[in-house]
Amino acid sequence: MLQVLCVVFVVAGFATAGYGAGVDEFYRGKSVRIVVGFSAGGGFDTYTRAIARHLSKHIPGNPSIVVENMTGAGSLIAANHVYKVAKPDGLTIGHFIGGFFLGQVLGQPGIEFDARKFEFIGAPVSDHVVCALTKASGITSVEKWMASKTPVKMGGLAPGTSTPDNATRILKAALGLPIQLVTGYKGTADVRLAADGGELAGGCWGWDSISVTWRKALDSGDVVVVMQANRKTHPDLPNVPQAIKLAKTEESRRMIDVGIHGDSDIVRTYTLPPGTPKDRVQALRRAFDATLKDPEFVADAKKARLNIDPVAPDEIEKDIAGLFKLDPALVSKLKEVLYN
Amino acid sequence: MDMVAALFGGLIQVFNWSTFSLMMVGIVVGFVVGILPGLGGPTAMALMLPFVFKMNAVEAFAFLLGMTAVTATTGDITSVLFGVPGEPTTASTIVDGHAMARNGEAGRALGAVLMSSLVGAVFAGVALGVAIPIIRPLVLSFGSPEFFMMAILGISFVAALSGEDALKGIIAGGLGLMLATIGLDPISGIQRYTFGQLFLWDGIGLVPITIGFYAIPETIELAVLGTSIAKQEVGQLGGVMEGVKDTFRHWWLVIRCSALGTFTAIIPGMGAATTQWLAYAHAVQSSPNKERFGKGDVRGVLGPGAANNSTLGGSLITTIAFGVPASVVMAILLGAFIIQGIVPGPDMLLPPPKGKLDLTFSFVWVIIISNFITVAVCFLFLKQLARVTEVRGGIIIPLILILIYLGAFAEKNAFEDMLVVLFFGALGWVLEKLEWPRPPVLLGLVLGPLAENRLFLSTDNYGLAWTHRPGVIAIFALTLFGIFYPIFKNRREERKKAEAQSDDQKKAEASSHGGIHFGATAFFTLAVIAILALALWQSRNFGYRAGLFPWVIGTPTLILAFFQLARDLVGKQKKVRAELVESAEGRVEVAPKLARQRTISIVLWTIGFFLAIWLIGFSYAVPLTIFLYLKFAGNEKWPMTLVVTFFSWLFYWGLFERLLRVPFPDGLLISFITGGQ
Repeated sequence: MLQVLCVVFVVAGFATAGYGAGVDEFYRGKSVRIVVGFSAGGGFDTYTRAIARHLSKHIPGNPSIVVENMTGAGSLIAANHVYKVAKPDGLTIGHFIGGFFLGQVLGQPGIEFDARKFEFIGAPVSDHVVCALTKASGITSVEKWMASKTPVKMGGLAPGTSTPDNATRILKAALGLPIQLVTGYKGTADVRLAADGGELAGGCWGWDSISVTWRKALDSGDVVVVMQANRKTHPDLPNVPQAIKLAKTEESRRMIDVGIHGDSDIVRTYTLPPGTPKDRVQALRRAFDATLKDPEFVADAKKARLNIDPVAPDEIEKDIAGLFKLDPALVSKLKEVLYN
Repeated sequence: MDMVAALFGGLIQVFNWSTFSLMMVGIVVGFVVGILPGLGGPTAMALMLPFVFKMNAVEAFAFLLGMTAVTATTGDITSVLFGVPGEPTTASTIVDGHAMARNGEAGRALGAVLMSSLVGAVFAGVALGVAIPIIRPLVLSFGSPEFFMMAILGISFVAALSGEDALKGIIAGGLGLMLATIGLDPISGIQRYTFGQLFLWDGIGLVPITIGFYAIPETIELAVLGTSIAKQEVGQLGGVMEGVKDTFRHWWLVIRCSALGTFTAIIPGMGAATTQWLAYAHAVQSSPNKERFGKGDVRGVLGPGAANNSTLGGSLITTIAFGVPASVVMAILLGAFIIQGIVPGPDMLLPPPKGKLDLTFSFVWVIIISNFITVAVCFLFLKQLARVTEVRGGIIIPLILILIYLGAFAEKNAFEDMLVVLFFGALGWVLEKLEWPRPPVLLGLVLGPLAENRLFLSTDNYGLAWTHRPGVIAIFALTLFGIFYPIFKNRREERKKAEAQSDDQKKAEASSHGGIHFGATAFFTLAVIAILALALWQSRNFGYRAGLFPWVIGTPTLILAFFQLARDLVGKQKKVRAELVESAEGRVEVAPKLARQRTISIVLWTIGFFLAIWLIGFSYAVPLTIFLYLKFAGNEKWPMTLVVTFFSWLFYWGLFERLLRVPFPDGLLISFITGGQ
């Protein structure tokens, strides 16, 4: 027992000594843990595990990398943990849903962090929101959608979820589309199943997921991508209309830009606890960037069909800072649209 | 022709040496995880997922499926021998299996459970194979309304799970449904009964509840009896063949329960945690003479034994054909699909070169082969396995306690889940003592969210028109049949019996209605009433959407609880008591005073283990608590104490800390001493 305690003290001593020394020396022999807010097997987890396999060799000192799943409250538990509990020593990286940053501005309950104080490493990909509907629903173009006499049933998971719920609500409010959001499905896979079975017309969520999981139906024309909501038109979807171009008022355009475009950039952000030493933040940013370009990682990602379209950390910072400068009228409008 | 080629292509792929050896590794891991109480298949699978990156597709699934497929089989062994669920999905085999073990029929129970597991697994494999051409149209014909009706059908099974006391059973089911409402309401996002705790947002996990409900009361029981688990029966393992024969004697029951497991598991949200109880209920419902259920009826072992294995095939169907995970295990398997770059969907059902049917068939083969291997190994080592029950309670108890906490923590890496285990351990113990059935609580807990969610989805999608769908009407008819047919049959039988019976029985019953007395039973019922009333009072703020379900469930449950209170007060339990004495025959009797002492002691130890983990963290608490228990509660000699402590620590450290790197939190004191560094 005493021996074990001694070891603890020695290790603790090393940890303190490490602060002054170089980044290389600090990370040598240590392990970095990546706290993922979702369970093993999901998209957030898979991206993280693929990155974790190659990240070590790009960090000075080559620490080992451990992925840890801390699930609950749609990853809010992990977000609060990284902010409040995790030590800001550069050994903990958080990965939770970036929609919380807008959530903080809108007063989403349960948030115990200040998004502006986190350090950001980057995001491997920015989401591309599209609305896909079945041919059976009869809605195969925006025109048909606009002209629909009855509300079109679109699937959702829970209020406050970036996609499908937030995106669908914003599109409904901004474009005046006839939509009935049916929320409460367990995941987008269940939404897909309900649409295949004819219960729903479709749903609005990431093209990166839809293009893979709904491939067959897309190829056969049973499912059609009717609209996209992205800053840049997705190369796969050159002829699919952009939602923001269909918006008639400035407020509508702002809502789409902030609530969907901005959110897509930051949704898969990797985050460090506030107060992490700057040299380590820089080292991790460089390592993250290098990993995403690492041919071995790219091969892994390709096999798992994970798209790579990195978002730089300063872009993320800018996006988040922008959220806190939103015009109060827009904030209250978004609140009304998303939470009522 | 392509189908046949794929069928054999799949088989050949499994027998590739690297695939086969990885499957064997998976089987070994699954074997151990299944046996160890606390640690469950989903936890093991999540921990093993990182290793999958280095494998090819067939290898990866042979490894993961081999592991999952056997957990339900070996978990049954723990349930039967120890009365502690080896897996959350094998809790139902405790009811009759462990009772049989105590009656000196451990061998027969094990033989029955292993054989029925094998039949279940093979059935699931064959069903998965045969269903391939019709999977998609079949599942697509099911919408939210049909899912809702299936949940209702499942809930109606509560009646059969209630044992002799239907009223208590229905109240327990209602409590389960109320417990299911804890967390964020998925439709309005309103928090229900979360007490501001983030960890309650997703509701209470089934795993810690099942562990608490069964493992803690049984550990207390073990400590109170002060013996090894089995005293008399280890010599009589000859009953194994008898158990195997039982499987064929009740062949149709085993097949029906296998089918029930496979087909209900196709519905997302219905895993083996549910189907095992449905199968148990079905075994009770469909059997002509029910008196022995709960006291060691082999049919109560065969049903769930088959169903918790056959469920895997059913869940795989939805996962493979649609990419919709039917259960937690399947969600993790879906992750493995993603890592392997395989997209579940129609392609999986088309023969190569167009699709990956050979891979799908390799899954079928893995499930069947791994179960054959496991069952064969189990039969070979059954004697040695049963030896474990000869080990002194003093040595077994600390190990079980540690495993309980490890299992509770490692599922979600959530410290709070250990508190959930403690709370439901206490509740489970009280329920057991006061003879309230526990299965209805679990069934309500699992099916509640499914029912609530799908009801709102049905109404949102179809208005009231969903009630006219043919599938809905068919399942509704089935539900009514399931409820009323047994009552009908009972009536007829009772009428026959009543004619034969004399009047003195009636007199005896009447005399048991004494004056009013307020005992522990009444006190507990009163507590239930108070909690239900508080919950209903709370729900006034939920609004229509989030409040409807708590009100609809809570109000009748509350009313029924008042009836129960009235029954408790007039003391209508004498009849049950008399039977209890009868069934306790052959048990080791402990003097009440000693029993009370031992109960207090084991409860303190259980809490002490938790406090130690909280204060000094798992790393130190594991060796320390095991050492202290062995030395001071078990009164073991020094060499034994040290050897057991060392090896259990080595096992813990090697597996959890080194290999799996489970992120155990530092103890409160440790982080205080080291100044948060």
